[in-house]
Amino acid sequence: MPHSLPSSPKSTPKNGGNGITKFTNCRILKDNSLVEEDLWVNSITGKIIRSQAAFYDDFVLPNQVINLGGRILSPGFIECQLNGAFGFNFSTLLEPAVYAKKVREVNRQLVRTGVTSYLPTITSQRSDIYKRALPHLGPSGYRQVAEDGAESVGAHVEGPFLSPTKNGVHNVDVLREADTFEDLEDCYGPTNISSEDSYEPSPIKMVTAAPELGRMTELIPEVTARGIIFSVGHSEATYEEASKAVAAGATMITHLFNAMRPLHHRNPGIFGVLGMAESLPRPYFGIIADGEHLHPTTIKIAFNAHPDGFILVTDAMHMVGLPDGAYQWTNGDCTNHIVKKGPKLILEGSDRIAGSSITLIECVTNFLRWSGATIPQALRAVTSTPAAMLGMQGVKGCLDDGADADLVVLSEGLGQDEAELVIDEVWKFGTKVFSR
Amino acid sequence: MRLIIRDESEAASSYVANYIIDRIQHFNPTPTHPFVLGLPTGSSPLGVYKVLVEKYKAGLISFENVVTFNMDEYVGIPRDHSESYHSFMWKNFFSHVNVNPNNVHILNGNAPNLEAECVEYEAKIKRAGGIDLFLGGIGEDGHIAFNEPGSSLASRTRVKTLAYDTILANSRFFENDIEKVPKMALTVGVQTVLESREVVVIILGARKASALQRCIEQGVNHMWTLSSLQLHPHPMIVCDEDATLELQVKTVKYFKSIELVARQQGFEQILPSSIRTGPPIPKTVVDEVSDEVQSPTILAPQPMTSRLLRATPATEYPVRSVSPDLVPDRMADRVGVPDLARRLTPQPEQQQQRLASVGA
Repeated sequence: MPHSLPSSPKSTPKNGGNGITKFTNCRILKDNSLVEEDLWVNSITGKIIRSQAAFYDDFVLPNQVINLGGRILSPGFIECQLNGAFGFNFSTLLEPAVYAKKVREVNRQLVRTGVTSYLPTITSQRSDIYKRALPHLGPSGYRQVAEDGAESVGAHVEGPFLSPTKNGVHNVDVLREADTFEDLEDCYGPTNISSEDSYEPSPIKMVTAAPELGRMTELIPEVTARGIIFSVGHSEATYEEASKAVAAGATMITHLFNAMRPLHHRNPGIFGVLGMAESLPRPYFGIIADGEHLHPTTIKIAFNAHPDGFILVTDAMHMVGLPDGAYQWTNGDCTNHIVKKGPKLILEGSDRIAGSSITLIECVTNFLRWSGATIPQALRAVTSTPAAMLGMQGVKGCLDDGADADLVVLSEGLGQDEAELVIDEVWKFGTKVFSR
Repeated sequence: MRLIIRDESEAASSYVANYIIDRIQHFNPTPTHPFVLGLPTGSSPLGVYKVLVEKYKAGLISFENVVTFNMDEYVGIPRDHSESYHSFMWKNFFSHVNVNPNNVHILNGNAPNLEAECVEYEAKIKRAGGIDLFLGGIGEDGHIAFNEPGSSLASRTRVKTLAYDTILANSRFFENDIEKVPKMALTVGVQTVLESREVVVIILGARKASALQRCIEQGVNHMWTLSSLQLHPHPMIVCDEDATLELQVKTVKYFKSIELVARQQGFEQILPSSIRTGPPIPKTVVDEVSDEVQSPTILAPQPMTSRLLRATPATEYPVRSVSPDLVPDRMADRVGVPDLARRLTPQPEQQQQRLASVGA
């Protein structure tokens, strides 16, 4: 595969070494625990290497040894729902060159927050925005250039096949229903949803839709057959409808509890599919742990219902990383304003939450404080669990031999007498790209 | 035989580790003159490796110019299997220190020709100049490396079938499935160990007490292969209190008192300096009887005058200078009378008469 070869002169090590770095005196995330073990990465291949084989077969010793002083070494974080960041909203109509430049800027900034892979998310929009923006948001990791920062693993299209009564802040006027797969192709652009050759994946990696609308449930197998994750969200689906969607191949729930029917004891709604009543596989689910979208106890309940499916997402808007104030927001065919006040985002003139402006590491810290979960459990929710959801086990979100060397060095701080995780360093493809 | 006894196993382990570090530092190894270290696997040496790693991380020792040879390896399990001795060494030692991978030698249990692998291993040891210090551990039956009871004391590196008891004991590392336990291993021979310039064995715990007793208080016996150390010029056994349970109180007291006296004299039972510092490396004299002897299988019985008894290289002891041989000379040369040397007989008158008659 040409993708695994070094493709850029940037990835050849300076000073002519072998590009191998050894992390020592660190606690690395392995399954459900932090184990004291060394980790070897190769910046030429961008992978975590099997140190024993490198030693006995290739007779190599690491070029540099990094003593982390007992800190935590975690796989890089994976963000499944990010609408924009650092002033750029992915749902924007711009000249292709300008758009591409903005995306690159976001990638470089985003990696500093510990997010090394993410799904750039487009909210419900008119078709032309999808057609213009999606080609820029497809998987970008094959280039393996550490300096590019965070990589896209494919776009997440949240809409527009959503329930008008569970629209959240999405513009009701652009919401649609689909009866055939052509409707999806018509909306997103055929090349964005079906890739032309099997070696190059399509830009879209995940679709959030309401399964009860139109014939969406019957279209789920067609979506998943293209390697795209179908996520249930912004939906009025009952427990039965949600179960049918899961049976048809839906493997994810977009921001559980938000923009869906609440849990009712006679019909548990979408949340019900996390139960074990049916002989169905339980889907993964996204949780926004910003203190606004969900009550801490609700998060605990969701975690305990299905710990292995628990994924922390931010649903952050482009205001993340910007000062407080009112910000313009393109929403379908009209322009609204979102008022940012601290981490809170409210649609101007309403009391509706308009996404968040929290970073993923803050979500992890919140979750740690609220749930009493262990650090490995909290880190899994942004590493191995999203990787498994995306079908990228062994490549992302883990520290196994052969996985991409995307790493985060974390300090355990004690902010206000409570547990806190702080990002000290970020490594992408075996090269350090951020240091606090 | 030096026997060092410590109250706790940790103290015994760190004694061995510090001893090795001392030896290496004294040796002052260089790339052209490396220190050659023989290494074991198993539970006994774990503590030693731990201390060695700690000392390395504290910057007190470097393994840059240390060449290592491991004792043994299973046959037929993948090299990177979690129970292979390659993995053991990687996990517990090599991954933490700066040993050069080119200097590491472990028998390859997956070699296409196992016999050739063993012959080559012996040759590699020889090329490295022999082993300066062989660290060992023992089994409950007193085996050193995989030289189980009944192994020839003249054995060299070879393929060895494991005893059923050993296979059974090892099954705990292989999901309790006897089928998965390797049935064979490659191991250095007793003779290979004895030929190293120094042997240090660590023995911990009450389960090894019986083996220690056989080795210290009884004779050389192939059923307790460790007892062959009695034939080595510089063996040292380090054990904890538990391992001495089967020894006589007298024996324990004797060895403790020796250590005490030696320490009081500021003389810690040290080795001859030629061994401690290396150069000039004493040539290990190996009598090559025939080609068959080099082969790991012993085809013919060894001669009664076992090479064991001749294994000791005599050159390492200070040899007293011998009085020079008698070279007879003439007494006449020592007397300072001129022309005396020309006299042929002790009676000059007769001689002069003879000279005169000749001249006439």
